[in-house]
Amino acid sequence: MNSHTYLNRIKEKFAAGVLRIDMPGADRLLLHIQPAQMRLLCQFIFRDLDARYVVSIGVDDRPFSGDFLVLHNFAFDRERLLVSVIVNVSASAPRVESISDIIPAANWGEREIMDMLGVEVTGHPYPKRLVLPDGWPDGLHPLRKDMDWNHVPKDFDVERSFHFDEPPPGCTVIPFGPFHPTLDEPAHFRLYVEGEMVRGCEYRGFMAHRGIEKLAESVMGYNDIPMLAERICGICGCVHSVAYVQAVEAAAKITVPPRAEYMRTIMLEIERLHSHLLWVGLACHIVGFDTLFMQAFRIREPMMWISEKITGNRKTYALCQIGGVRWDITAELKNELRAVLRKLEDEWLDVVEAVFKDKNLQQRTRDVGVADVHACKEMGLLGPVARAAGVDIDARRDFPYAAYDRVEFQVITHSTADVWGRVVVRAKEVFESIAIIRQCLDFMEPGPLQSEIDTELPVSRMGFTSVEAPRGESHHFVITGENNRPRRWRVRAPTYQNLQGVPAMIKDQTLSDMTISLGGIDPCFSCTDRLEIIDIKSGQVRTWTQDELLAEIRQRERGGAGSLP
Amino acid sequence: MSRQLLLQVFVGFYNVLLVLLIAPLAQGVARRVTARIQSRVGPPLLQPYYDLFKLLGKEDLASGVSPALQRFAAYLALTTVLVIACLAPMGMAIPLQGYADAVLLIYLLTLSGISLLLAGLAAGSSYSLLGISREMMTMLTLEPLFAITLVIAGLHGQSFDLATLFSGAIYQTGQMSGWPLSGYLMLGVMLLSFQAFVGRAPFDITEAETEIMEGPLIEYSGPKLALFKYAQMVKLVVFAALFIGLFAPWGSAWLFPFGLLFFWFKVALFIALVTLIAATHARIRMDQAIRYFGKLALVSCAALALAVVGM
Repeated sequence: MNSHTYLNRIKEKFAAGVLRIDMPGADRLLLHIQPAQMRLLCQFIFRDLDARYVVSIGVDDRPFSGDFLVLHNFAFDRERLLVSVIVNVSASAPRVESISDIIPAANWGEREIMDMLGVEVTGHPYPKRLVLPDGWPDGLHPLRKDMDWNHVPKDFDVERSFHFDEPPPGCTVIPFGPFHPTLDEPAHFRLYVEGEMVRGCEYRGFMAHRGIEKLAESVMGYNDIPMLAERICGICGCVHSVAYVQAVEAAAKITVPPRAEYMRTIMLEIERLHSHLLWVGLACHIVGFDTLFMQAFRIREPMMWISEKITGNRKTYALCQIGGVRWDITAELKNELRAVLRKLEDEWLDVVEAVFKDKNLQQRTRDVGVADVHACKEMGLLGPVARAAGVDIDARRDFPYAAYDRVEFQVITHSTADVWGRVVVRAKEVFESIAIIRQCLDFMEPGPLQSEIDTELPVSRMGFTSVEAPRGESHHFVITGENNRPRRWRVRAPTYQNLQGVPAMIKDQTLSDMTISLGGIDPCFSCTDRLEIIDIKSGQVRTWTQDELLAEIRQRERGGAGSLP
Repeated sequence: MSRQLLLQVFVGFYNVLLVLLIAPLAQGVARRVTARIQSRVGPPLLQPYYDLFKLLGKEDLASGVSPALQRFAAYLALTTVLVIACLAPMGMAIPLQGYADAVLLIYLLTLSGISLLLAGLAAGSSYSLLGISREMMTMLTLEPLFAITLVIAGLHGQSFDLATLFSGAIYQTGQMSGWPLSGYLMLGVMLLSFQAFVGRAPFDITEAETEIMEGPLIEYSGPKLALFKYAQMVKLVVFAALFIGLFAPWGSAWLFPFGLLFFWFKVALFIALVTLIAATHARIRMDQAIRYFGKLALVSCAALALAVVGM
């Protein structure tokens, strides 16, 4: 089935509801639809046409069209088609029907629309605050265009506390995070534990908000944003930077010179290599196997050095600009990179051989943190988590970008759907990445690194793209705008979806498995927490004595509200 | 008589001072060995001494739900292992020979676990409570293994006297002379469970930093943490000495100082083995550990039955 067949089936069924259809390319489809039909259409696309849910996006388009926009993006992975279902929401009564009851994966996406844009999502099964901090005043929505990017709400209520759900009967509450040795970034899981068994949890994250999207939409320029995008994440920054420029390039129909595409591919794969090696190390550390943790970091280090030689930095490569890249690779560096890859391949072969034979490690990871095909579909799980469950998706193959259509590689899948499967997938992907970089080095021809852009970028065009980050598909959406900057830029990192799958993964497992299950998705909280505005004033300056804290905890354990902000 | 007593007091001091002195060094060597396995340089050999001095010099904070209990638990942990040191052969006579027997040894081993339980109770955090529930389960399944070992040695040697136990009684056979099968079985069992007795990987479940953040020790800092760390270092040496005394006592009767040196050589080798195992294993889960200990318990029950019929 190709995109036209899908389009015809949709037209057939929703002839009256579809207002306008845009096809910016053979692989993109924008369906403007009447709000009344939106729910049914999403259901049709998700259930009957079996698409994968990608993300929900809210846009404050009032200064331009007078309405809010709500978009639900879907992917047909095998058919290489990205679909966006777009509804206009009237500014006077900003209300849209929820699709989370049909598509559980849309839960966070819709809550974020409520938080950030103040568009009410009616019928949402769990309409709790997600992104905004506890004390943020109601009715103030940061991504609305009428709120300044540097606005500090005067009525921020430091005393207001977040109301967690009641734990199920018979369970005690174990607070996991915001600070815990296995969490490299702050996030809070309120675990409901019975003995050592985790019976459920509530997640409260988004604690390291930097307001990146708002900042980009308000003060930065097109070519500044790649540098900002890169700082979304300390590990997969290049992914965000590439994804952002690709979204803009798609919207403005800019072609990129081949050598620049190869450069992007090489740096993305170098990034995947160092990220996967880092993950294997951290996973081993979580299960108390520090020897492999240290060895993985030792093997990884030459990758960091070669990155520094190519880009000037171990991480945060500052690689991308709209229409090209900033760094080239010389013949000497090519040889050096080849040598580094050869050494890495040899050493990694030894590690993989040892790991695959290690019964002890398998004991800790088999049948742990299970997310099967069904869970992947319902929660929109991505990357190695999905591939470990046999869900054969990989944006590099499914939505080829940069030079991925010119290189050959395998998409690694596994059938166990547990943490062990994720170990196997990542371990084997290292070899594929090495092969991809080698092919790029062989294939790349001399040529320009940057395409000429001599006109202003067109305004009000939508572009979206998926880039396969080490953790799964990173999806970026851009609406081009005035003043040399996008009107709206939405980042959906893979952890945003994968974290939503964690409560199901850790349920009815022991607490010992909780850490490795969470580690198994390779969570990247900074990616997820990218949005929102830091309120420096809300920093808790008050110090709490131990008695006060204990009294507080007890009060909360008894079900009281507590008084800590 | 008084000369005999003096000698015992002297050997008692020797045992206690010696383990206090060399335990951090043993830890330092172990850390270096671990570092080498992990392709690291590792800390200076004397680093554990520096660590202890630093901790001892820090402010003595009281925290947890019961600061008094917290302090008591730290003292108890160190004193218990030091008293055990007086019941263990360290290349010379056993200091408390004639005043203590195998039963006291079993009690003291349990007490060393109980100090950790008290520490966890004193902290009162949910993580420490998880830690002590794990420690409790470990104790309940581990202690019988050690008790059975001593009982078997006692059965073979016809006495619970310490000198008898630590002179290879476990391998003696009774009237049905032949292969000391039960002794060898217990050697296997104790080898396979020794990591758990000293809380090293893959059985560092009670403290599991990446899961429950050191469990019972979560509220400890400064001098009290130093005492606990010290106790754990001493524990490794003392338990290794007990193991060598029980299962590999050969050579102890050699001429001074060769017997003494050979004894410590064996202990050092054994600690190196423990370190190697710890560095090459991932931590297992509590339920997996209990199942594992359960199998070992079955084997030791079989060994006990064999010992009763004199094998």
